[in-house]
Amino acid sequence: MSNNAFLEPGGDEPAQLNERLLRAAVKLNTLLLAGVFGSVSGLAMFVLTYLSLYRGLPQPGQYLNLLGVFLPGYSVSHTGAWIGLFWGALIGALLAAMFYRIYARSIPAQVLEYLHSGGSRDDLMGVTLRFDGNYLGLALGAIIAGGLLITTSWLVFRGTANESMHAYLLAQYLPGYSVTIPGGLLGAIELFCVVYMLCQLFSWIYNAVARFRGRKPR
Amino acid sequence: MTNKSDSADKAILMAAFAKMDAVALGVAVGSTWALMLLLATAILLLKGAPQGESIGSHLNLLGIYLPGYRVSWGGGMLGAVYVWFLGAVTGFVLALLWNLTHYLYVVMIVVRSAWWRLMAE
Repeated sequence: MSNNAFLEPGGDEPAQLNERLLRAAVKLNTLLLAGVFGSVSGLAMFVLTYLSLYRGLPQPGQYLNLLGVFLPGYSVSHTGAWIGLFWGALIGALLAAMFYRIYARSIPAQVLEYLHSGGSRDDLMGVTLRFDGNYLGLALGAIIAGGLLITTSWLVFRGTANESMHAYLLAQYLPGYSVTIPGGLLGAIELFCVVYMLCQLFSWIYNAVARFRGRKPR
Repeated sequence: MTNKSDSADKAILMAAFAKMDAVALGVAVGSTWALMLLLATAILLLKGAPQGESIGSHLNLLGIYLPGYRVSWGGGMLGAVYVWFLGAVTGFVLALLWNLTHYLYVVMIVVRSAWWRLMAE
C-alpha cells in the first residue's frame, strides 16, 4: 500500500488520495501563504526602518543598518526603506513557501483523521484549522536553523567573521555558537530544538483556544 | 469506491480550506512571543554580565520600540505585556488575511464558473 492509501472506518478496501487534488491544494495554499507573509514581512521592514529614522535617536539605524550585510542595498534611509520592503517581501514569501511545503506533509494525516471521525461534515468552509506541533516544529525549526547556518556561513565566507561582534552575542542563548562553520552547525542544531519546543507550545495553545471557542454556542 | 473517493476529496478540500481561528492564533502568537522575551531577559539576568559591563546592553535596545523595556525583572514583565499585545495583533491580522485570501479565492472560482455557465447558455 502506498503512503497515500488508507482504510476508511468500517471499510476494508483502501481509498486512494487524489494526488492531483492534493498537489493543487498544496500549491494554492503555498501561493496564498507566500503572498500573505511576503506582504506582512515587507511592510514590517518598511515600518521598522521609518520607526528607526523618526524615533529621534542620535544615530538612527546604528544596528538596523547591519542588515545591509545580508540584504544588498539596504540601509536606514528613505531609499533603504523601499529596498527593505522589497527584500522583506521576497524573503518572507520564499520562507513562507518553503515552510508550507514542509508543513503540507501533515495534510494526508489530517485527511485520515477526518475520515476516521466518520467524515460527516458537509460545510467545507466551516472547518477550523488545527496545528500539528510536530510538523510545525519540523518546518519552522528547519527554516530558522537553516537561516542561522546560511547567515553564519555568509559571514565566514565574506571574511568578516572576526568583526561580527553582534552575531557572537547569540552564544549567550546558544552555548557553543560562534561565527565559524562548526559553531554555526552547533548553533543551528540548538536553535532547531528550541524552535521545535516553542512550536509544540504554540500549537498546544492555539488548538486549546480554538477547541474551547468551538464548544461555545455562537 | 466512488463514495470513498468523494469523501477523501472532500477531506483534502477541508484540510486545505480550513479557516484559522483568529482569536486562537492571536493568543498563541502573543503568548509565545511574550515567553520568548521573558526567557531572553531572564537568561541574561541569571547569567549576569562580565565585570565593568552592563547587563544586556544590546537587548536593552528593544526599548527603542517598546518604551520602558529594559533588561530587568520588571522590564522583562513590561516587555512581555507589550509583545503579547503585538503578537496578538499580528496573529489576529495574519489569520484574517489567511481566511480572507481563501474566501476571495472561492468567490473568484464561483464567479468565474457562473460567468462561463452564463456565456455557454
